[in-house]
Amino acid sequence: MLKNVFSALMLIICCTAAAPAAAEISARQVVESFQNVLLDSMKQGKDLGFKGRYDKLDPAVKKSHDLPKITRIVVGKQWEELTPEQQTKLEQVFTRLIISLYAHNFNNYDGENFSFVSEEETGRGGVVIHSNLHVPNDKDIKFDYMMKKKDDDWQIINIIADGVSDLALKRSEYTSVLGKEGFDALIAKITEKIDAYANAQ
Amino acid sequence: MKYPRLSAALSAVLFNLTFSGTLFLNGCATAEKPAVTAAADGAPAAVKKTESQNVDPYESFNRVMFKFNDHLDDYLAKPISDAYLFIAPSIVKQGVTNFFSNLKDINVVINDSMQGKFEQGAEDTGRLIANSTLGLLGLVDVATDLGLKKHEEDFGQTLAVWGIPRGAYLVLPILGPSTTRGLPGSLLDIAANPSTYFGAPVQVISMLNTRANAEGSLKFINEAAIDPYLFTREAYLQNQQHLITDGKVSTHVDILPLEEDLEDPLDDKNNAATGKTKPGAEKTDAEQENMRTEQALAANAYAETDAKIDALEKKLERKRHRHRHRHVLPKPETETLAPAPATPEVKPAEPQAPANTGG
Repeated sequence: MLKNVFSALMLIICCTAAAPAAAEISARQVVESFQNVLLDSMKQGKDLGFKGRYDKLDPAVKKSHDLPKITRIVVGKQWEELTPEQQTKLEQVFTRLIISLYAHNFNNYDGENFSFVSEEETGRGGVVIHSNLHVPNDKDIKFDYMMKKKDDDWQIINIIADGVSDLALKRSEYTSVLGKEGFDALIAKITEKIDAYANAQ
Repeated sequence: MKYPRLSAALSAVLFNLTFSGTLFLNGCATAEKPAVTAAADGAPAAVKKTESQNVDPYESFNRVMFKFNDHLDDYLAKPISDAYLFIAPSIVKQGVTNFFSNLKDINVVINDSMQGKFEQGAEDTGRLIANSTLGLLGLVDVATDLGLKKHEEDFGQTLAVWGIPRGAYLVLPILGPSTTRGLPGSLLDIAANPSTYFGAPVQVISMLNTRANAEGSLKFINEAAIDPYLFTREAYLQNQQHLITDGKVSTHVDILPLEEDLEDPLDDKNNAATGKTKPGAEKTDAEQENMRTEQALAANAYAETDAKIDALEKKLERKRHRHRHRHVLPKPETETLAPAPATPEVKPAEPQAPANTGG
């Protein structure tokens, strides 16, 4: 039943992409359809392999996450000091990292399920979608998605798992590496992580 | 699936550690970079420094400790833990984990009551009784199957709820990440936990169990972190805040500084379009950054006191319920406490004004 709803949602999203005039998609729907793709990828995880999961998640991540904005936040004030080429490079590499992270870590299915808890407005036009990940034989994990509107679409700009903000973690690391070792070192380190994920299995 | 276990493992591990192993990381080559280079850089490093100085004034000492713990883990704790994970059947590992988790529930019950969380305390007492009897001295976690949820409470959280400020981030030898508030907290945790008094063999098994359970999250940190020291620090501090507030305010606290930053670069861009950024602008940028961190700290402090007031009010409410027939003590107390947070600025000014005009 739920699955049907999700696939219906996916359909709606696909349709709206084709016909921009269609009805607006809520922040909750964006999160839920992304979670659905994630669960799907987990269910087929073993068959797909890392590469297969990466390719499956690639369009879903790009659609639901505001990657340009996330990239800018993740280096904080130092974004302004990068050249346009560096900015583009960082965004490309960072996008690959995010997708690799998903593909590597959500690699198999043990009966996990996401459930919607509540939606909260945060001021400045933001919304937080609170959801739970049920893990069989384990405690629920809280997933809070910070959403912002880009043009007319809601997009994820941060994910907070049990109170730990993914973006804040990365930001403290990236700004530190940028400040101490410079841009090339940062790119090298991120690329190293991507390769490690791809080869880990 | 491993990713979500990061947070689960962090909450399970970072906060209960009795053993170094929990936070040691393998091969953190990045930690070797000396902080000296930061000083040589210009504005960005300086700005960064003010940001981290608030949380981590002893960073250079902490990094040394982190490295020490890391090596201790590499050469001692991890090999033993790996062997244990490889040899022991999963039913044994689960039993050991349950046994120590049950003993820790004693700490949870104590801290439930000290924070005024009496309903949760009742649930945790139920867990303790069920698991210690039906669960064969805690080897089987029957309470969870009975629908009694496990909670995470400890003395560090209690101190926070009581309003003691967090203080500076500390990495302790063997104990791992802590804060100036967390240090006395974890000493009390150790003192209140019966396993401390069972003798050396039990201690060793307890340490081994803690380290073995941390394996997953350590692997995750090792895989994901560019600078494991910073990754661990941020994750620890955020997760601690999450536990202290029982997950109520963490998102708000987190959103503030990120959003501020988000709006800012956009404005800067406009400036850059009209005419290159002025040389004086950098200084104000640094000042703004400081203001922002101050704001974030204030928001933090506010959230903490808020949680504290909440807890106190609940406590008083319950006291009033219990002593309904004794009107002596609790009543005036609540009256003095209740208006304090709400009214101090606005109300007194109004009645005074007409009095002055009348006179």
